[in-house]
Amino acid sequence: MGGEGNFMKIFRSRKAVTTTEGVIIVALILAIILSASTLFYVSTVTSQLAGLSTSISKLSDSLSKLSSDLATVSKTVEEVRKIVGAPPPTPTPTPPPPPKLKDTLIVGTTDSVELTLDPAQAYDWFGWHILQQIGGRLVEIRPGSKAGPEDYVPDLATDWSASADLKTWTFNLRKGVKFEDGREFTAEDVKYSIDRAIALIPSIPEGAPAGLGYDAVIDSVEVSGTYQVKFHLKIPFAPFLGFMYCRSSAIVEKKYAPIMQINYTEGDARASTPVGFLGPYKLTRWVRIAGKDNEMRLEANPNYWNVTGGYPKTKRIIYKFYADATALRLAIEAGDVDIAFRHITAADVLDLTKNPNLKVWWGTGAFIQYMIFQEKIKPFDDPRVRRALAAALNRPAVCKTVFLGTMEPLYSIIPKGMMGHTEAFKELGDANYALTRSLLAELGYNENNKLPVELWYESSGHYPMSADQALMYKDSFEKSGVITVTVKGIDWAGYRKNRNEEIMPVYVYGWYPDYVDPDDYAFLYWAAWLHHNYVNPEIVALYDKARAITDPTERARLYAEIDKIAVRDSPVIPIFQGVAWGVTKPDVEGLVLDITTDMRYWLVYAEIPA
Amino acid sequence: MGLRSYIITRVLLTIPMIMLLLSIVFLVVRVLPGDPVLLHFEKRATPEAMEAMRHQLGLDKPLPVQYFEYLAGLLQGDLGKSMQDFSSVGQQIFSAFPATLELTIYSMAVAVILGILLGVRSSRLYNSLQDHSIRAFGVIMYAIPIFFLGMIFQIIFGIGLRWFPTGLRLHPAIEPPYGLNLGDLRLSTGLYTIDSLLEGNVFKLAQALRYLFLPSLTLGLVLCGVFIRLTRSNMLETLRLDFVTAARARGLKERAVVYGYALRNAFLPILTMMGLQFAVLLGGAILTETTFSWPGLGRYMVDRINFRDYTAIQGAVVFFGLLVALVSLVVDILYAYLDPRIRL
Amino acid sequence: METRRSILASFLPDLASLTKRGLAGWITLIGLGLVTSIVLMTFLAPWISPHDPSAINVGPQFCPPNGQFPLGTNHLGQDMLSRVLSGGSIMLQVAVLSVFICLMIGVPIGLLASYAGGKLDKLCSLMMDSIYAFPALVLAIAIAAMLGTGVVNMALAIAVVYVPSYFRIVRSQVLTIKELLYTEAARAAGARGRTILLRYILPNVVPSVVVVASVNFADAILTAAGLTFVGLGVAKDIPDWGWDLTDGRALLPSGAWWVITFPGIMIVLLALGFTLIGEGLSELLNPRLEQ
Repeated sequence: MGGEGNFMKIFRSRKAVTTTEGVIIVALILAIILSASTLFYVSTVTSQLAGLSTSISKLSDSLSKLSSDLATVSKTVEEVRKIVGAPPPTPTPTPPPPPKLKDTLIVGTTDSVELTLDPAQAYDWFGWHILQQIGGRLVEIRPGSKAGPEDYVPDLATDWSASADLKTWTFNLRKGVKFEDGREFTAEDVKYSIDRAIALIPSIPEGAPAGLGYDAVIDSVEVSGTYQVKFHLKIPFAPFLGFMYCRSSAIVEKKYAPIMQINYTEGDARASTPVGFLGPYKLTRWVRIAGKDNEMRLEANPNYWNVTGGYPKTKRIIYKFYADATALRLAIEAGDVDIAFRHITAADVLDLTKNPNLKVWWGTGAFIQYMIFQEKIKPFDDPRVRRALAAALNRPAVCKTVFLGTMEPLYSIIPKGMMGHTEAFKELGDANYALTRSLLAELGYNENNKLPVELWYESSGHYPMSADQALMYKDSFEKSGVITVTVKGIDWAGYRKNRNEEIMPVYVYGWYPDYVDPDDYAFLYWAAWLHHNYVNPEIVALYDKARAITDPTERARLYAEIDKIAVRDSPVIPIFQGVAWGVTKPDVEGLVLDITTDMRYWLVYAEIPA
Repeated sequence: MGLRSYIITRVLLTIPMIMLLLSIVFLVVRVLPGDPVLLHFEKRATPEAMEAMRHQLGLDKPLPVQYFEYLAGLLQGDLGKSMQDFSSVGQQIFSAFPATLELTIYSMAVAVILGILLGVRSSRLYNSLQDHSIRAFGVIMYAIPIFFLGMIFQIIFGIGLRWFPTGLRLHPAIEPPYGLNLGDLRLSTGLYTIDSLLEGNVFKLAQALRYLFLPSLTLGLVLCGVFIRLTRSNMLETLRLDFVTAARARGLKERAVVYGYALRNAFLPILTMMGLQFAVLLGGAILTETTFSWPGLGRYMVDRINFRDYTAIQGAVVFFGLLVALVSLVVDILYAYLDPRIRL
Repeated sequence: METRRSILASFLPDLASLTKRGLAGWITLIGLGLVTSIVLMTFLAPWISPHDPSAINVGPQFCPPNGQFPLGTNHLGQDMLSRVLSGGSIMLQVAVLSVFICLMIGVPIGLLASYAGGKLDKLCSLMMDSIYAFPALVLAIAIAAMLGTGVVNMALAIAVVYVPSYFRIVRSQVLTIKELLYTEAARAAGARGRTILLRYILPNVVPSVVVVASVNFADAILTAAGLTFVGLGVAKDIPDWGWDLTDGRALLPSGAWWVITFPGIMIVLLALGFTLIGEGLSELLNPRLEQ
């Protein structure tokens, strides 16, 4: 092979290249590049003759249609002539026309559908978000509400009731709702959807129905009438409406939903999801390039039951996907998108509030982050060590320094705004170094014998500012004077692996609500999949009791008990609760950022100025 | 040896080279620690489910069997199934490749054109301040991290002046050009500029170029230094030659002398350097794509890491390697055709 | 003996004499100056930094450069001056380690394979060529995905891609020198292969290796920055310019230009320094026929 020497020779070569040779070479190169890439894209040519004949028959069809159209047109012209000949009617005052709305809005985001849009599998925020725009569920939650039991409103179900023992739930369904092909929605579809979700649990152990425990809660689904469905549960379950609100309960259209996971199909948005288009929108385009979303389009669904209410307000939503939060910020600032939602950093959003050409929307959040101690690793099996570390945490500092005040300190695993929220962990305090030192002194740790802590964080952006958070925790732990911290970061896949292998002494996790009920949060103190080996039958008993009753006062009392035990044992420490924000162009209206953490684009619109 | 035998030898030698690369990649991916199976499980990881997943990914077969299946698949063009969502890795790579190819071509064009223009100027003003500044410019540009430069351009041109967009390949509301449509046959390269030409749509061509401008400028600027140096040194030698003096004596305009005669001499080395820089460009494309949200292979690779998608990473590495090997093969053959001494 | 000394003399330029060797000499000197001062600065950082570079909230967040914080503070209230002083340590470690690995692997293989010739030479050339043109960042990403992050892994990834460069340079030199008259003479006088390699060939190879090494250093620094940018760098509690660049990029649109600029300039200067050394040395050793 030519080495350096030959290279030098070429530099000194006097052989010139004639123009023709040059042109040929350049053309050759271009041709190679072109053909190489074209080869991948040329579709096979179907039989030319067949194609030709179909074209000819299509042509003759068009010609006959054209002639009949011409006949209709001439008839209409005659009628118009008759009307025009008549005297004009007296003009009645017309009401001012309703404001014209833009029919397309462009949303910029850094999210991506994690795996599929199959309700039996999808468990990521963005997958659920899309399913909410296109799919129908029995109930919805009133936008902007507290998502309490009284805030559930009819969607595909018009009313519902529960038996006294909370084990049988009856839903009356809306009549006259049609699927895309004109077939009517009935109770059979509900049964099929839920049965399918449960049937797929063994083969999709990481899916939403599995994670929520559909098989542990639902015993059977009964079709008690064309428009009535009854759920028979295995246990008394107060938050069952929450289950029906989850996107894993979205109604599937049988012909697109065999009993197997439905994956993305290139070039065919309809075939890429089993969900029936019963929501405000239809999914008309889904382009994934190299395993990540590149473009999605939602178009107004004419079969949506609430079309008469004027929904969706914007006929078309186009999603564009950006590489990271900085790129998205630049895009909204440059006006390349109408709406930027998830994710813009705290620093950027605060900076954008000063921009008169943009509108910043703030909302309640239900996203939480919490710290976990691995009880298999000494000395974290001792609750005194865990309480000492909990006391040393400085939540206000984290919220102020890392998140610039956009997150709030959290003192209970149940976030503020939800029933059952308390301030239990205030008992241990923030930066309560006196308590930390005294607790650790009992075990022999002091300035000369510091407690070594290995703190892990997730490094690939799954949680916001996770690396900076870790630095803050290290800082606050070390300020106690008796702790020394090593910080370790690893990407999401490695993080989960380490979690399952139980090798991380201290780590941080996050949580979004599946359904808005303390039942979806309280279990985090002992969740088996966190692998932190905390076992406490007393706390689980309280939890099981709380989910079986409806009385909110009693439930709140039980969750407060749970919090008290959690403070005593400190298996999992709540740190902060997130606020949600979005940035839009000034003409955009209708964004609702409530405790459900949902984004309902059918409420969003932009007026065209008169 | 004649040209034909050189080509044959060279092509034959490429094959073991590629085989070696494939085997190295295979070994590295399979033997090193890290478990892709666990990535699929968030909450309920039963040993049975994990074994089933391991079987589905083909990881439970003995290593030599996996190796042969891997090679057999490659021969058929199958790069395996992504470990994240089981779609074809080959499909994913081919869907992402045109974007990277387009970026690479235009960046190369920027680098070469800038390099030639500045190199010629530098050589004509030999040893002057301009000469030294141009050379310094080339060296400094290479030392600037790509994402740094890209960000500055995004801020100045995207937000400040609003002349160019800050990311993506085309405006969200515009349909990507679909190329040439001949009834049942669709000819589309995936390169937006060429496709819009095939379609005859000047508006889309203009838009595609507008979106290409900042990313290719960034990458091209960083890499133009090499071409500046090459052109300059070549020109310096050629401009002293007899036939050039003769042309000047004949009264030809300086510009004709320079671009007509002297530059032709530099053509071959520049072409060769383009081939060599191709790999560097591919590496730079990764950072450029992340900065400008360009949906290409570079971003693909970076994304796949978070999923520990070994098949995909392996596929991408093999693809890069094949690409680079192909380009160097072509360059070497062109070399040999144009300079008989090389074949010896 | 005579020949050997004169070859070594041409290789080890007296620093003072560099200024007399024209533009190339100046370039090398500037490069050396840049590199030495930055390395020195990084070494002395623990003593000369006004604050602990990792300490949070030593000052108000997002503070622009002023009297108290000459280079400002970042989003966590860390002092940028201290971070700039100590931030080069990771990159320098990665660069040094990768060059070390390359020297330990590339040079001996190059020497042995090309001196021995025959099948060994062909096999090694083949292997090296298949890795040669591979983009470093791509391989680094793949390796980081497999092995995880850290100084050693980053250095390994860069080294793997650079070894072929060393191999090629060494090989071309060896092939030339092998045929020179004095080597023949030495062999005729009965010297063993190893002696010939070490005494005659190695000293001649060293200058070219140094040139490749300096380009290797520059590339290693830029690749390390790139790896941190895509999230494959070291843990964040170690001050590192790569982290400052990544954070600073996110803060730049909000107007906090000082977080990315100063570390960015330092990276450019460091990479530039090594590049200049390489450029200058290569011109000193192989002066171009410019008149």
